[in-house]
Amino acid sequence: MDRIECQWCKAQNEPARTSCTTCGAPLDKKNLVSDSGWSEAPRLRDMTEFRFSNSTCQIEGEIVPVAEIALAHGDSVFFEHHVLLWKEPGVPMSAMNTGGGMKRTIGGMPHVISIAHGPGRIAFSRDATGEVVVLPLHPSMELDVREHAFLAGTHSLNYSFIRIKGLANVLHGGSGMYMDRFVTHNEPGLLLLHGYGNVFQKTLQPGEKILVEPGGFLYKDSTVTMNTVQQNVKTGLMRHGMYLAEMNGPGRVGIQSMYVHHGSE
Amino acid sequence: MSMPPGAGSYTCPYCRIPSDGGGGTCPRCGAPVDIRLRATKSGWAEQPPIRDMARIHFNRSTCQISGAYVPVAEMNLHPEDWVYFSHHVLLHTDPNTRLEALQMGGGWNRVLAGMPMVMMKAQGPGHIAFSADHPGETLAIPLQHNQAVDVVEHRFLVATGNVTYRWERSGIWFTTQNGDEQEWHYPLGQMMDRFTAQGGPGLLLLHGPGNTFIRDLAQGERILVQPSGLIWKDPTVRMHLHIEYPRGQYWFSSARWQAKSLWLTLTGPGRVAVQSVFERPEMVGSIVQSSGATTQYW
Repeated sequence: MDRIECQWCKAQNEPARTSCTTCGAPLDKKNLVSDSGWSEAPRLRDMTEFRFSNSTCQIEGEIVPVAEIALAHGDSVFFEHHVLLWKEPGVPMSAMNTGGGMKRTIGGMPHVISIAHGPGRIAFSRDATGEVVVLPLHPSMELDVREHAFLAGTHSLNYSFIRIKGLANVLHGGSGMYMDRFVTHNEPGLLLLHGYGNVFQKTLQPGEKILVEPGGFLYKDSTVTMNTVQQNVKTGLMRHGMYLAEMNGPGRVGIQSMYVHHGSE
Repeated sequence: MSMPPGAGSYTCPYCRIPSDGGGGTCPRCGAPVDIRLRATKSGWAEQPPIRDMARIHFNRSTCQISGAYVPVAEMNLHPEDWVYFSHHVLLHTDPNTRLEALQMGGGWNRVLAGMPMVMMKAQGPGHIAFSADHPGETLAIPLQHNQAVDVVEHRFLVATGNVTYRWERSGIWFTTQNGDEQEWHYPLGQMMDRFTAQGGPGLLLLHGPGNTFIRDLAQGERILVQPSGLIWKDPTVRMHLHIEYPRGQYWFSSARWQAKSLWLTLTGPGRVAVQSVFERPEMVGSIVQSSGATTQYW
């Protein structure tokens, strides 16, 4: 039987479906790609539903979308507590010890990652206009995400954090000291991010480079290296140098169109 | 009123530039050509958002608009074309696009007015993209040779190299007195930008938070708008403050103390554009001085 391949996550879908069962991307709309190769993250239709493990996730709203998850027994999701919008009273909660307490304090990251266990419903949203980006992760995939940008991850994902290397990258990179790293080992997992404004993704070939405003960086495959490079331009009253994040392929890079500008006011 | 594309001659109702109208969007400003001009009964036309991935042509380069909430303007610059912008709006660029600082005069005035002291210049060939930091719309304003527009500060996104940029005092101010404290207010900002195309057509991109509405004011026609709602206007449109005092019943609601409404009067002829997101001016105390203003006691 013919199947439809999702252009965003490459999952196979039944022909009658209008949205991907794995990531919710519309299947009846062409992927929008700019002249320089940036793909728009799929705009998830209001009330789009997709599945992970035995649970379902529904995206509601379009300006500040809500991700509502119906957790099945045995499934769980983890998240930073400030993105929790509502939950059913009976949904059990626990905490994930992230380790590296002092380092996380210095890096401005939460000490505790909360976990919600099924069965029951729970919903997440963030604090500004943007898009929910659904990223299915397959075993052996590693994804690095800007700190505080992830909305929720499913139980099969392994969560850790990595220090951004290089003092210049930390001081001028605009992404803080750490990035969240998500890895899957045995079974596929699902990562939900919230990008401010609109989200775009580009796949870099080996050795291909692109310069990105550091505040616009959202996620990357761990195969993409990120270095902060100073431009030969001085800005502002104190003649600050201008820094951009140089992303070096191979792999995917995701950016957000609304960002806080760092460093050269 | 509908503006269907004519056979080989279509004039965009937003930028007023003729084209063949065959591409679905105006090649100069990106406005859709196949929709009805959505005008309110009072005469404001809602500027339709530029369609996702629409291309705007300028000089030998193109600009593609993508995204809906905080649109991105991605330019494919010809080797002989260049654009300038404030560094805050740069989103991404090819490594081979040449970036340089573009020194501006009047440094201290610009600093005091909260405007960027240094503009940046991007020289083709290469791709470079810009976005702002508020949900809203990207506005493309094509300018014919010697045509100018006045823009409220901080709305500028990027302009082509042949569009000159100068700034002058907005001339709209007032002072309030509260006890011994006197405070100066600039509801439009201290400075206003003027962009003029020189030596041929140019392109100016602005970002308007929220939705954008435009209208044509006839000779002598006036409209009152929230000062912080104005985005741009034709230079022929004149401005002054208008202060309204609603009638109060008690001493504490007398004209001196009661809440007052501060308006910007725009007088035609010419186009004006307003945004749906604005801040109400904060006023504590009574207005004791102002730039030229009219007053109405109800």
